[in-house]
Amino acid sequence: MTMEILVIGLNHNTAPVEIREKLSFPGELDGKAARLLTQIPGVEEAIVFSTCNRAEVLVSTVEPEAITDRIVSTIGEIHSVDPSGFRDFLYYKKGADGVAHVFRVASSLDSMVLGEAQVLGQVKEGYKKAAKANATGPVLNRLMHRAFFTAKRVRTETGIGTAAVSMAYVAVELARKILGQLSNKSVLLIGAGEMAELAARHLSAQIDRPVVVLNRTYETACALARELCGDAVPMEQMEDSLVAADVVITSTASCEPLIKKGSLKTVMRRRRFRPIFFIDIAIPRDVEPEVNDIDGVYLYNIDDLQAVADENLGERKQEALRAEKIVAEEVAKFMQWTRSLHAAPTIVALREKLEEIRRGELQRLNGKLSALDADQRESVELITRSIINKIAHDPIMFLKNTGSSSKRSVYLATAQRMFNLNGAPLESSEEKEGPDQE
Amino acid sequence: MDLVFFKIALVLYLGSSVGYLIFVVLSSGNRAPVGLWLAIGGFVSHALSILHRAIFSGFFPLATSFDVLSLFSWLIVGLFLLMQYRIASPIFGAMAVPIASVLMLYGSTLSYQIREPLVPVLKSWWLPIHVSFAVVGNCIFALMAIGGLMYILQERLIKTKRIGRFHKLLPSLETLDTMNRHGLPFGFFLLTVGIISGALWAGSVWGFYWSWDPKETWSLITWFAYAAMVHQRLVLGWRGKRAAVLAIAGFCLVMFTFLGVSALVGGHHSFEDPRRFLRPIGT
Repeated sequence: MTMEILVIGLNHNTAPVEIREKLSFPGELDGKAARLLTQIPGVEEAIVFSTCNRAEVLVSTVEPEAITDRIVSTIGEIHSVDPSGFRDFLYYKKGADGVAHVFRVASSLDSMVLGEAQVLGQVKEGYKKAAKANATGPVLNRLMHRAFFTAKRVRTETGIGTAAVSMAYVAVELARKILGQLSNKSVLLIGAGEMAELAARHLSAQIDRPVVVLNRTYETACALARELCGDAVPMEQMEDSLVAADVVITSTASCEPLIKKGSLKTVMRRRRFRPIFFIDIAIPRDVEPEVNDIDGVYLYNIDDLQAVADENLGERKQEALRAEKIVAEEVAKFMQWTRSLHAAPTIVALREKLEEIRRGELQRLNGKLSALDADQRESVELITRSIINKIAHDPIMFLKNTGSSSKRSVYLATAQRMFNLNGAPLESSEEKEGPDQE
Repeated sequence: MDLVFFKIALVLYLGSSVGYLIFVVLSSGNRAPVGLWLAIGGFVSHALSILHRAIFSGFFPLATSFDVLSLFSWLIVGLFLLMQYRIASPIFGAMAVPIASVLMLYGSTLSYQIREPLVPVLKSWWLPIHVSFAVVGNCIFALMAIGGLMYILQERLIKTKRIGRFHKLLPSLETLDTMNRHGLPFGFFLLTVGIISGALWAGSVWGFYWSWDPKETWSLITWFAYAAMVHQRLVLGWRGKRAAVLAIAGFCLVMFTFLGVSALVGGHHSFEDPRRFLRPIGT
């Protein structure tokens, strides 16, 4: 009879989007779903995780095999879907695998975009709702706090979240490395493609000055400028606009390059060689590649940005290997704790603790006790031993008798904390159990 | 006992250099390098060493090449720690501490014995004025040169689209160019004051301001080089890579004037032969 962690769920790797959509636990129901799951006999605690890429049920139980089917059919009931439609897409993980899975999800090692930061918040949200609905207990509380702790370690000890992996972010990061502070820089948008607009939006989020939009048809420029809260400029003023801009995003449908090396040299002189960053999204290119050779001109086209993003993703994968090691360490620690969550080791630990106190006190009084003769000392030994046995008797009987009770893990965990039996001093606030301490 | 603080500082700097090297090679971005703490420890010990030398010599501890080098490397470390604090980039320490260590290693091969009694020429208030302006100016030029080196590296990486770990470690081009923009007029001003104060000092002891001593000549060449740089920057708007290259070239000249001339050519800045102080070349 050991307490096990069981995870049943599906994610972007195992299930197509249609199935994931059907099983997403809508936000307002979350607490209720967890509550409903705890009403299945054999399920002690339950949490539901639901993000756009995953739907998962996490329970603690003593008989994982027996209740698996009940959980699956309950998931079906909650979403009014026949379980046969999604059963094949589910994964089942129990014990150490289940724990590792939870830690990996929280640390963003199981995410579609490796290392993305949102998933931890979503996991916390799911836990909060379940805790509010009283669906969690000592095992899952501890598990989740260890999961948050693991996620934090992964974030601070590895570089998994540092490198930009989307093209727009790569562009922003590069602009920062070239131009420093972006807030007082200006963005010029030439052409009105969708990608260019997206890049301009990302950049203008960092920038206080309005985006300048330039287009062959002035009306289009005006419309886009309104949308981006920027200014529109007619095509004839391209050179002046280039002189004023710091970041230029080009995406026209022109067959000929718009910006040539020769003319840009003049622009650079007029700019007094202030650096300028070109992001060329157009195909065929709007900016001559040779432009990159001019001092102070930095040209990246869409393929270059993609290459950087890919490389960064590779870097994240490297970091993920280190993160897996951290997860493995934390899983081992957690499993050790679950093993201690049995009556026998708890009782032994309690006895040892009391005996240790008894012996310590006797030793402390050794000076006074040495005046006694052997018989008297024997009596002191007997009296003290009998006192601790009597004190320990009721708690020990209580722990032994909870063997089959469904709240056994609660009592054992409480006893361990009450008598501080884990050997260590009470854990720091960060690791304390309980749903609302974060 | 003489140089115990100096030696402690040198050991700490060397340790710090190793720490920074490991950090640069295996950088994980957010792990605070041991290098910084060792460098701070070395900096404090180094300060004590300079204080100790001051008490020992009874005057500003600037009378030997050893002391001037020691002050120079102390200032470099101090300036870089300041930069690191301002810009929060460990790369500054990683550049400065090894340089300071090398300078100190070189310094420790020089004689640090002060000839008793101190040559009267050196017992003058002009000594701290002249030397500290010159040395602080040189430190600024060192900072600019290292900034320039980083600029060229970073520029190369961005232009060739190698956006890797090293790229992330280096500061932005804008930051590095700002170092050059602020450092240039400041360093140039200090160099000018250094040269003028030297001339005035010479005038007060020897009766003539300028004697075309090799160090004086080279200082003047350096001064013209930096004057040209200020001109290019302010008037022609040179910046970025060109300014970086000039900063490096200028600093090579500074180092030759600072260390090379006394060692190779001689003249009345040569500390090794005290008689020269009494009878400057040309008299």
